[in-house]
Amino acid sequence: MRKAVFVLCMTLALVAMASAEKVTVRLGIWPEDTLTGDIAMHQGFVKDLNATYPDVTIVPAYYKYATDTFVSLAESGQLPTIFESWFTEPQKLIAGKFVKDVTAEVKALGWDKKMNKAVLELMSKDGKIYGVPRDAYALGLMLNVDLFKQAGLVDKNGLPLYPKTWNELAKTAKIIKDKTGAAGLCLLAKDNAGGWHFTNIAWDFGAKFEVQKNDKWVAQLNSPEAIAAMQYVKDLKWKYDVLTADPTNEDWGTGFRELGTGAAAMYIAAQDAVNQPTQVNGLDVKSLSLVPVPAGPKGQYSLMGGTPYMFANNATSAQVTASLHYLEIMGRAPMVNDKTIAGLKADAQNRQAQGVPVLPTFPAWTDPAFLKAQQDAVDAYRNVDMRLYNDYYVKVAQKDNLRTEEPYCAQDLYAELTKVLQAVVTDKNANIKALLDSAQKNFQPILDKTVNK
Amino acid sequence: MNTASLAQSKNKASMGTSFRKNLPGWLLMLPSIVLFLFFVWEPLLESVRLSLYQSEGMRLVQFVGLQNYVDVFHDPDFPPAMRNTVYYTLWSLVIGFCVPMILAVLINETRGGRSLFKIGIYLPNIVPGMAMVLMWGFIFKPGNAGILNVLLSYIGIGPQPWLTNPAWTIPLIVIILTWQGAGATALLYIAGLQGIDPELYDAAIMDGAGIWKRVRYITLPNLFNLARTLLILQIISVFQILYQPLVMTNGGPNNASISIMQLVWKYAFEKYDYPKAGAVSVLISLILVVLTVAYFKLSKEKDL
Repeated sequence: MRKAVFVLCMTLALVAMASAEKVTVRLGIWPEDTLTGDIAMHQGFVKDLNATYPDVTIVPAYYKYATDTFVSLAESGQLPTIFESWFTEPQKLIAGKFVKDVTAEVKALGWDKKMNKAVLELMSKDGKIYGVPRDAYALGLMLNVDLFKQAGLVDKNGLPLYPKTWNELAKTAKIIKDKTGAAGLCLLAKDNAGGWHFTNIAWDFGAKFEVQKNDKWVAQLNSPEAIAAMQYVKDLKWKYDVLTADPTNEDWGTGFRELGTGAAAMYIAAQDAVNQPTQVNGLDVKSLSLVPVPAGPKGQYSLMGGTPYMFANNATSAQVTASLHYLEIMGRAPMVNDKTIAGLKADAQNRQAQGVPVLPTFPAWTDPAFLKAQQDAVDAYRNVDMRLYNDYYVKVAQKDNLRTEEPYCAQDLYAELTKVLQAVVTDKNANIKALLDSAQKNFQPILDKTVNK
Repeated sequence: MNTASLAQSKNKASMGTSFRKNLPGWLLMLPSIVLFLFFVWEPLLESVRLSLYQSEGMRLVQFVGLQNYVDVFHDPDFPPAMRNTVYYTLWSLVIGFCVPMILAVLINETRGGRSLFKIGIYLPNIVPGMAMVLMWGFIFKPGNAGILNVLLSYIGIGPQPWLTNPAWTIPLIVIILTWQGAGATALLYIAGLQGIDPELYDAAIMDGAGIWKRVRYITLPNLFNLARTLLILQIISVFQILYQPLVMTNGGPNNASISIMQLVWKYAFEKYDYPKAGAVSVLISLILVVLTVAYFKLSKEKDL
């Protein structure tokens, strides 16, 4: 396979040399070497692209974003033309001037008008656009259906009786722990992902972590609502004892492992990561369910965001446009034609073959024609019982359910909250008020320095 | 020509000759000097410069004087990181400093199978660092499935929190460090012990000195210089502890094990804020230089 890719690269390189005006795109979103099925799919995309745009040369340049490699690549001008980053990164990458302003190119194709507004905002700064969404996500609650069955928590149709509120979640988790020995919930407290999940829990308890008062942004980490939410998390550990053995060692990836391998029954996660418990951790595609995040005393929210495609800051306008055309072929752009439909189908088919639930994506684009095409592709390759997912999709479509991250310095906010989480899940006598007071004291100066200048 | 200038020109001439005479030596050193310049001194100076600027990525944007240092001092993670690093160092002296010496004396006194023991204590040293911390992660895992907790359950003791108990985190990580590093240091001590003239011991025995007196008056004084060097090396290396807490606890719980190097790591790789990472690195090196100089000054008169 590697040989084939090499030959392909060399051929493409030779072709590139033959004509000077040709545009060469180094494609960081090319699949890694071991994913031969995905590579075959992309080779098809390249063919399709070249049929319409013969001047574009695609060079596979697989790059998996990582914080320890990114800056060196960017500074030495070696970033692929287009690459995928994490949903946490766009503002940081924009601030460091690592990525190209693609406003003109995106507007020329009219995509800015077809992008979900909240997602557009995540990838923009000062009115300039720096990325396009691979897809968007909204957090929900993933269930290991097998564990629900073992615990007898299923209705007459065999569907899991999932918790609708956080209080119910504690009780459901307890039943599962008592009957199966597996943890009820995998709570994250190793890194910032812990704080990220916690903000969603706390919103349901009525917390708002950042508010604007008299033109100043004020942090509210120690509000009574945030304290109530933290108390709830503390109870999950010390009153109900339903968490995995060491939440301070659980991060985004291990959470999926616990869920996928049946070590935990519930996990806060989004629809864009359904390959994690299944394809990556071996859970049968039929044993996964995704339901809404439970409601708290003050509401029910789902944290939403988007996974960005971004562009090297040394990319030319022609290279960016060519990359956008490639996204079109992949079915990742708000365009509908035979090629994008084929791309969407190829993707759904590939997921089906890999044992990944084929689900409607969360719409990063708002173009109705595109959404319909996407839905058709998903319907054609459906491999799951949609009753295990419907409630989630209904809930996130409701008004006021979706919320984007807190607007400023979200990662610093998460870091502070994670420290408090670590304290409450490791110390039975932790003083929540005092811990959140000190988190507040640490975080407000960060807001002052960054936003209230 | 007066005497002074005559002496100077003579001096110059002799310097020239001596340089020519030493040319092969200089040539031999050249690759090392170039490597040092390129990989050690230049980055060192560069990070000092970096720490005085504001940057976008690694591109310096604006000279800001000592602002990065001020910001670093005000970082809420700085005090715990500094405090913990001192704790790591102190605990490593309490737990780890004597262990290799004791191992060395024991092995030196062993009559048979000495090599077996030498290899045995050295083996942990060749385990790749990441594998080692993951292994200890399993051993110290809290809950019923941790290896130590499983063993404890056989003797009727309930599961312990291990690394998740903030009071234990640092000493436990130091125990792991000691397990990993003591063997290599012990080998150096064994070499030191074997360099001691056996006649000294024979003479002491004839004078009626017992084992403790022989250790007190012969072994320890003879090992003093070696021990002093190893002490400084240990302080320098433990002061820069990074991957063990990073992987095992990520600096937690609630900053109970964050080290000063992890703060550097956070600035560089989580926030891409290289100037502040540079500022903390400069602080670390200053502290280490001061410690080392002070220690050597204080113990100079004891030189043998």
